[in-house]
Amino acid sequence: MVWDHRFEVAVSGVGISKITRSSETPLAALAVDAVQKAVADSGLKMSDIDGLVTYAELPASGHAAVDGLTMVSTNAMMTALKLPNLRWHMQNETVNIGGSTQLAVNALIAGACDYAIVFRALHNPPGQYQNLPGKFAQGNSQFTAPYGFGGPAQGLAVEYARYLDRFGQDREKTAALPLAQRKHANLTPEAYFYDTPLTPEDYHNSRMVAWPYRLYDCDIPVQGATAYVLTRTERARDLKPKPALLAGFGQRIQVELNGRISSRADYMGAGGSSSNLTWERAGLGPKDVDVAQIYDGFVGSAIYGFEAYGFCGEGEALDYIQGGRIELGGEMPVNTFGGSLSAGRLHGGWHIIEGALQASGRAGERQVPNAEVSFVGASGANINATTFIFVPEPY
Amino acid sequence: MTMSDWSKVERPIPMPTPLTQHFWDGAKAGKIIFQHCQACDNWQHPPSPVCTNCIGVDLKFEEAAQTGTIYSFTVGFHGGDRRFAAAIPYASIVVEMDGSKVLMAGNLLDVPYTEAHVGRRVKVVFEPLTDDITLPQFKLAD
Repeated sequence: MVWDHRFEVAVSGVGISKITRSSETPLAALAVDAVQKAVADSGLKMSDIDGLVTYAELPASGHAAVDGLTMVSTNAMMTALKLPNLRWHMQNETVNIGGSTQLAVNALIAGACDYAIVFRALHNPPGQYQNLPGKFAQGNSQFTAPYGFGGPAQGLAVEYARYLDRFGQDREKTAALPLAQRKHANLTPEAYFYDTPLTPEDYHNSRMVAWPYRLYDCDIPVQGATAYVLTRTERARDLKPKPALLAGFGQRIQVELNGRISSRADYMGAGGSSSNLTWERAGLGPKDVDVAQIYDGFVGSAIYGFEAYGFCGEGEALDYIQGGRIELGGEMPVNTFGGSLSAGRLHGGWHIIEGALQASGRAGERQVPNAEVSFVGASGANINATTFIFVPEPY
Repeated sequence: MTMSDWSKVERPIPMPTPLTQHFWDGAKAGKIIFQHCQACDNWQHPPSPVCTNCIGVDLKFEEAAQTGTIYSFTVGFHGGDRRFAAAIPYASIVVEMDGSKVLMAGNLLDVPYTEAHVGRRVKVVFEPLTDDITLPQFKLAD
């Protein structure tokens, strides 16, 4: 059934901090910078902000969570900003920044606040990534870490190896996604790889990290933060930027069993359960979409997304992404800001921001002409998918 | 093609919980022990307080087959985790175990990493890691 609250909430201002490879600046300072930019982009004052929410997980497993340095909690942000008129705050422990966004949407519809800030700050520890500390393997990792499944790359590589085998697919077709996204990052001034092109030769000569993932199939871990202002649409219309109206959202209501080793490759059920809710609430389908941001922690995350969300059939995504279809100017531009692979691993916050910018016609050089329907898959279809559709007005 | 040198690898040491202790006790005794739902016959691993198939709680730890088929694999080339650097490149595999159909992780030992393929038959071997922990590992079955 079409959502009763369709178009009632909108993304207004957005903010992206400086993006660096690791921790030159304390993380909370970057998070505050992103929030200040988002508030200013809306033309609001900090005293207008009355809602605050984040998802604060530090994804570098094994590293200590130190509030303000390696993660930034809602409490830390409240302390930093001293919001005098705060009326609602929250911090979720599941479904990442998409979950935070949905909490804010619900709070706005309920009238718990009027201008909610959603922020997400990501730390990248110094030194080589995945040099994991700790002599012991705890929890479910006791069954995987002793065998060299130390970080996300190996754990997700087995899933992609299974995918390639299951559908008889050619690993090298994978290149189309990172190459397209790098072109998009080269148009995104905030992107980590803004100044760095990537050629097919660079891609095919890049080192293997964990078969079947090459270096450029992995996201680029960075230190940085994203933030955006959510408000009810009637208020958003009075603010500085054109609003991006939320037509629908969903979250995965079916999930791979927590901790199960590898995967039965049931990303279709997990991601599909989120996008089906979203299509139904928005009264739209994959064929209506003009531009899409699809979470790309690793290439596979996005590949599963194309299929789970219904942009192509199961097992067909590596063919779907060929021939420029997903590049700006193509039939379905994807990850138009460069994605996690090329703009930086800020989880889904940047995907949501770019989805909103495209819907409000504010994406600059990257703007997809006449983008009427802007889809966002803010986290992996295979893990904790949340999905959104933003539209301009009039719809 | 050379084989991975595991002798210099410092593997993270599993920390058993009350629920996982059965698996590690079994491995120390040369057995593979998985959780088996008495209500619906589902086998599961890692162990869970509740059957992941039928929500039943009548779960027993029972001995399972020590052979299986490679379900998927990855080859580690990344020296980021320096504890494994000496073995690079090395094959980490996920095996669908015969009978129970559960997925279990391990390394493919005694052959070059290029021998890791989906569908290959493997069998468990047991490698003592500490006084308390013995790791189940895999070799090709043929």
